[in-house]
Amino acid sequence: MKLELGYIFIKDIQFAETSKVENGTLYVNKEEVKALILEDQNFKSADVELAKPGESVRIMPVKDVIEPRVKVEGPGGIFPGMVSKVETVGSGKTNVLKGAAVVTTGKIVGFQEGIIDMTGPGAEYTPFSQLNNLVLVCEPIDSLKQHEHEKALRFAGYKVAMYLGELAKNMTPDQVDTFETPTLVEGIKMYPELPRVAYVCMLQSQGLMHDTYVYGVDAKQTISTLIYPTEMMDGAIVSGNCVSACDKNTTYHHLNNPVVHDLFAEHGKTLNFVGVIITNENVYLADKERSSNWSAKLAEYLGVDGVIVSEEGFGNPDTDLIMNCKKIENKGIKTVLITDEYAGRDGTSQSLADADVRANAVVTGGNANEVIELPPMDKIIGHVEVADVIAGGFDGSLHADGSITAELQVITGATNEMGFNKLSAR
Amino acid sequence: MIITNNEKVYDKYKDITNIIFIQGGFKDVLVKTRDKIHEGHELLTHPLSSSVKPNETPFKSVLISDEKASLNLNSLYIIENSIMTYDNFSKHKFSMMTDKITEDFKLIDLTVLESALNI
Repeated sequence: MKLELGYIFIKDIQFAETSKVENGTLYVNKEEVKALILEDQNFKSADVELAKPGESVRIMPVKDVIEPRVKVEGPGGIFPGMVSKVETVGSGKTNVLKGAAVVTTGKIVGFQEGIIDMTGPGAEYTPFSQLNNLVLVCEPIDSLKQHEHEKALRFAGYKVAMYLGELAKNMTPDQVDTFETPTLVEGIKMYPELPRVAYVCMLQSQGLMHDTYVYGVDAKQTISTLIYPTEMMDGAIVSGNCVSACDKNTTYHHLNNPVVHDLFAEHGKTLNFVGVIITNENVYLADKERSSNWSAKLAEYLGVDGVIVSEEGFGNPDTDLIMNCKKIENKGIKTVLITDEYAGRDGTSQSLADADVRANAVVTGGNANEVIELPPMDKIIGHVEVADVIAGGFDGSLHADGSITAELQVITGATNEMGFNKLSAR
Repeated sequence: MIITNNEKVYDKYKDITNIIFIQGGFKDVLVKTRDKIHEGHELLTHPLSSSVKPNETPFKSVLISDEKASLNLNSLYIIENSIMTYDNFSKHKFSMMTDKITEDFKLIDLTVLESALNI
C-alpha cells in the first residue's frame, strides 16, 4: 500500500470573509465554521478563536487536537467510519495543512484537564504551541449527558478539520513524502538481510472519555489486529480519550505517529518495517490477557525479529504494556517499550504500576509528576476556573494572578508515549 | 463481586450482585480488595482502571470473583503494585470539590466498571 502525503506549509492563520489557503496563510470564515458546529443540535452556541505560536494565550481544557487533511486521490475519505464512509484508506494521495490544527475544548465533566500555552515555559512542553490553531469553544444544551457531549465535541472537531482540509484539495503541495508498505512476501524478498520490525500501538479503551476508535469501531470491542501504517495517516484511528492530558494520544498524534514515521525513515536502511499491530487497553483483566495473547501471536506470525510497543495512559495500561512485552519476548522477539513515568515529584519512586525483567529496553517520555510553574497569560481560551480541578492540578493550583502551579501531567502532549515530545531521560 | 465506595455503583447493583460498600476512600477500597484476594478471591478488573489519577478521584470500584480458590498470586501482585502506585501520589484533600464534580467522578467510575461488565 502506497500513500503520498503532500504538505502545504501553514505559517499563519487569520479570520477572513472567504475560507482559503494562500501564500502559507490559512484564512477562515468564522461564521461558516460556527454554522458547521451548530448543525449539531446538541450545541446551543459555539465560538471560534485563533491561537498562534508566541501569543500570550492559554487554551484549556483541551479535548483533542486534529490536523486538517484531505484525500486528493485514492479510495475513501479522512476519518473513515466517523465522518467518511467505511472505505479502506491509506493509498493514493492526501494533502495536509502542515502547521495548522483544530483544537476542541469543553467542560464535559467537572474535573478537566489539558493545557496548551502558546508562549512561556508551558509552551516548551507541548508540540501544539508551535501550530496555528483554530480553537472551538462549544456550549452544549443544558440537558446533554456527558456521553453525548463528548461525542458531539469529537465530531465537531472532525467536521471542522475536514472543512479546512478541503481547502487544500486542489493545491500543489510544497513537499511530497511517499510511504509504502509492500506485502509480507515482497518485503522479505526486498530486504532479506535486514532485521524485521513491527510496531505494536496500544490504544486507550476503558469507557467514557477513555476511548479510541478504529474505522468508527470502539477499540474496546476489538481484538488485536493488523493495520497498514498509511491507514493511520488518513485518520483510520481517532481519539475519544479526554483523560490524562500529558500521555494521551490525540488524533493529531495518530495522524503523525512518530514511531511510524521513524520506522519508515529507517525502512530498507537499518531495518525492514513490516507493519503495525493495534491492540487495546481494557479494564477487564481477561481482556488484557486476550489482547496481549493476540498481539504476541500476530508478532510471531509476521516473523519479526523485534517490535516497538507504545503505551497510552497511565496505571492499568502499564499492565497491558508489560503483558505485551513478556508474551512477545517469550516468542523470542526483542521488544522496546515507550512509556512515561509517574515517579513522584522528586522522581525517585517506582515509575510504572507494573514491571518485568524482560522489559529491559524502555524509553521514557518524562516524569508526569514533576511540578511546573505556568505564568499568567493575557488571554484564556476555554474555561480557566477548571485549573484547580484539572488532572494534575491540586488545591491552590490556580493563583490570584492567573499563574498555575501543577504537575506536568496538566499539559497536553507533554509526556506523550509515542515520543511526540521533547522530554526523556537517560 | 463488586467492592466500591461509590454510591452510584452501589445503588445500581446492590440488588442484583454481591457488593461490598466501603465507607471510606480510594485506598480503603484497594486494601479491602487485597484482603479479599488473601481470602482466595480472584481480581477481575484492574484496580487502577481509568486514567483518572488516584489522587484526583475519591471513588473506586473493583470487580473480583464470587468464588474463592487458593491464593491467586497474579491478583496479589497486581493489587500490591496498585497500592504502591497509589501511595506514590500526593494526597488530595478533595476540599474544593463541588457536588457536580463529585457526581461526575462517580459517573466516570461507574462507566469504567460497566465497560468491564459489557453493559
